[in-house]
Amino acid sequence: MRRTLSLSAVIVTALLLQTTVFADIRLLGARPELMYLITIVFAVLEGPSSGAIAGFSGGMAQDFFLNQPKGITALVLTLLGYAVGMLRQYIVSPSPALPVFLVAGGTFAGVLFYGLVAFLLGQLDTGLLYLLRVSFLSAVYNAILTPLLYPVLRRVAEGSRTRKVIRW
Amino acid sequence: MALPSRARSTRLLVVTLVSVSLLTITVDYREGDRGPLAGLGRSALALISPLQEVVSKVTHPVGNFFSTLVSLPSIRAENQRLRTRVAELEAQSATYVSQERRLNELESILNVQQSLGPKVKTLAAEVIANGISNFEWTITIGAGSSSGIAVDMPVVVGSSSGGAMLVGHVVRVAPDSSMVQLVIDPESSVAGRIEPSGDTGLVAGEGAQDMRMGLVDTTASVTAGTDTVVTAGYRIPGVAQGMYPPGILIGTVSRVVQNDAALEKFVTVSPAVDFSSLGIVLVVLSNGSG
Repeated sequence: MRRTLSLSAVIVTALLLQTTVFADIRLLGARPELMYLITIVFAVLEGPSSGAIAGFSGGMAQDFFLNQPKGITALVLTLLGYAVGMLRQYIVSPSPALPVFLVAGGTFAGVLFYGLVAFLLGQLDTGLLYLLRVSFLSAVYNAILTPLLYPVLRRVAEGSRTRKVIRW
Repeated sequence: MALPSRARSTRLLVVTLVSVSLLTITVDYREGDRGPLAGLGRSALALISPLQEVVSKVTHPVGNFFSTLVSLPSIRAENQRLRTRVAELEAQSATYVSQERRLNELESILNVQQSLGPKVKTLAAEVIANGISNFEWTITIGAGSSSGIAVDMPVVVGSSSGGAMLVGHVVRVAPDSSMVQLVIDPESSVAGRIEPSGDTGLVAGEGAQDMRMGLVDTTASVTAGTDTVVTAGYRIPGVAQGMYPPGILIGTVSRVVQNDAALEKFVTVSPAVDFSSLGIVLVVLSNGSG
């Protein structure tokens, strides 16, 4: 219950930030993809199933609240969360910069995949070059934001987890 | 034992979530803008937009600050571009102002031509130079003997009220230019009449100071400030060189100097024409006698 609440709070906050603050602060015209960042961070912290759930909820919320073509972001983020969570289990690097690289790579691949799906569904009106550019820029932007947001998200994840353990 | 089952349940979860996503995509795609999913989206949008507004209000200045930082180079370029544009427009506006002044001058010239009557032939000419000496108040105009200009012809400009104002008379003529002696030149003297009293006198230039009108009858009633001096329109042989058409404004009486001992009094006349900004003048070709 507490876990659901905290995840919802994170998602709504991210949506609001994404559409207000980061609509103004653009990096070379590109916005960050906060939902991608959250999905990847949750997958890194909590494993593939949490990643998939976070991705699915965040994606659905983004699709519905921002009136995008519904389901595509949810699909992309579910797979992204699962993939990053699986990948995380095979990486043993203790580097503190690991989340940054995972977020950068994950965002790049995720946005590209989103573009591919949208293209297959006839929802994408832009060229491949623009898609690559946006993927790259939002990956860079997310990587820059990761050191700021990672501690916050980790605290949220751990907070909900410990409470669950206590209740259990 | 636990790990494979967890992995399996995770895989099941992912497959379920992906299926739901795909189902949503399909339903949304088939429904278009009218189905329940689109309605749900709309109500979600209505739910979040007030929140967005509030957050936006708080964070917009901050966001602006950062976006300004990020786009500083382009802002500088834009600033440069706008500066150039401002300079261009200022130059353009200056051109307009001078053109408007020219238009006003031409209009007043036209008025003068009409006020002088159809009998008097006139010629408009541009002032091409001012006198070079500090002791000679002359201008050079861009028309000469080839246009029919001769020595002693009066030169006037139009006033804003449509009447003519005296500038001076032609003293030297070249084929395509002539020199005009202004009424404020110390060498110049013009027969003038004080309005409304009608007393006559001789207006002589004093250079940069106000003109001096002498030979005024001591009994004449003159009020400084309101009385005007116009050309008398007659010649005093050997004294007044020009023969100006009557009634052209010379200036306003600025001071009356009463000299009880003398048989005359003199008044000072401030010229009506601003000689520093002459643009186009009108030469009266008929010399006033016709």
